[in-house]
Amino acid sequence: MGDAFFNEAETGLMCAERHLERAAYARFLEIRLMIEGDQLQTVLPPREDLIGNVNLPALHGGVLGSLLDVTASLALVYQAVLTNSPRLVNIDVDYLRTGRVLQTFGAAEVVRMGRRAANVRARLWQDDPERPIAVARAQFLLPQRGE
Amino acid sequence: MVLEENDPGPGISVLLPGHPRLANDESDQVFHTGAILAIIDNSAGWCIRDHPDYVEGTSMATLDLRVDFLRRISLTQTLRVRAECEAINDNVAFVRATAEDAESGLVVAAGLATFMLGTPSGLEPKIGPV
Repeated sequence: MGDAFFNEAETGLMCAERHLERAAYARFLEIRLMIEGDQLQTVLPPREDLIGNVNLPALHGGVLGSLLDVTASLALVYQAVLTNSPRLVNIDVDYLRTGRVLQTFGAAEVVRMGRRAANVRARLWQDDPERPIAVARAQFLLPQRGE
Repeated sequence: MVLEENDPGPGISVLLPGHPRLANDESDQVFHTGAILAIIDNSAGWCIRDHPDYVEGTSMATLDLRVDFLRRISLTQTLRVRAECEAINDNVAFVRATAEDAESGLVVAAGLATFMLGTPSGLEPKIGPV
C-alpha cells in the first residue's frame, strides 16, 4: 500500500493480539481470542465474580456488554489490520437470553468501514451459536494518521 | 464501586475510582469503555429499586442498553455515575444514566436502558414452553 500508517508486515491477528495484550480491562476479564476459519472469535471464561444475579445465577449484563465492546473492536482491528486502537463512539446492546455461568463466545462483523468511522455488529452465544444471548451495534472512530 | 449517600435529588449516584486493571490501553491509561458500560448497567439496575413504583424483591433483567462515549477519562480520576429510573410501566423500567468526571463534572458517557421486571417472588412468569 506504500502507506506508513498500515504496516504491511503486520497481520490482523498480530494487531488483535497486541490490542488485547495492552487492554488491562479485557485481560482482567480473561478474554481470549481464537480464529475460526477467517473469523476472529472471543472467549470469556465463566467466573464467580462475574455473576450479576446470584439467584438465577446469571452473568452480569455489564460484563456481557464489555465482551461485546471488546469483540467488536478486536474484529475491527483484525479485519482492518489496525496498529492503533479504534475508539468506541457508541454501542447499543440488546440482551436476548440469560447469560448462564458458562463459557461465552463472541464474534463480530464489520458492516461498513469508512475512512474515519466503522460500523460493527457483534453477537455472543454460549452452547449454541444459533441462540445468541446478546447482540450489539457499535460505531467506532478509526485512528487517523499520526495518532 | 461505592454508592454515594446523601445524594441530593432523585435517582442514585455511584463512584468508581480509577484502577490500573480498568485500563483501555496500557499506553494511554484511560478507563476502558467496557468498564464504563458495566458500571452504567449496574447503576441503572440499582436505581430502579429507588423508584416509588418498584416492589421490593422483584427480579429484573436488562432488555437493552445504549451508551454514548462523549470523552475519555484518565484512570487517575474517579467516575461518578448518576442513574434515574424515569418510569415503571407494565413491568418495564426506563432508566437514564450519565457517567461524569467526579472532579470536573464533565460528562464522559450517557446511557439509556430498559429493564424487564419479574414477579415479586423472584420467579419469572412463564409464557409458553421454555
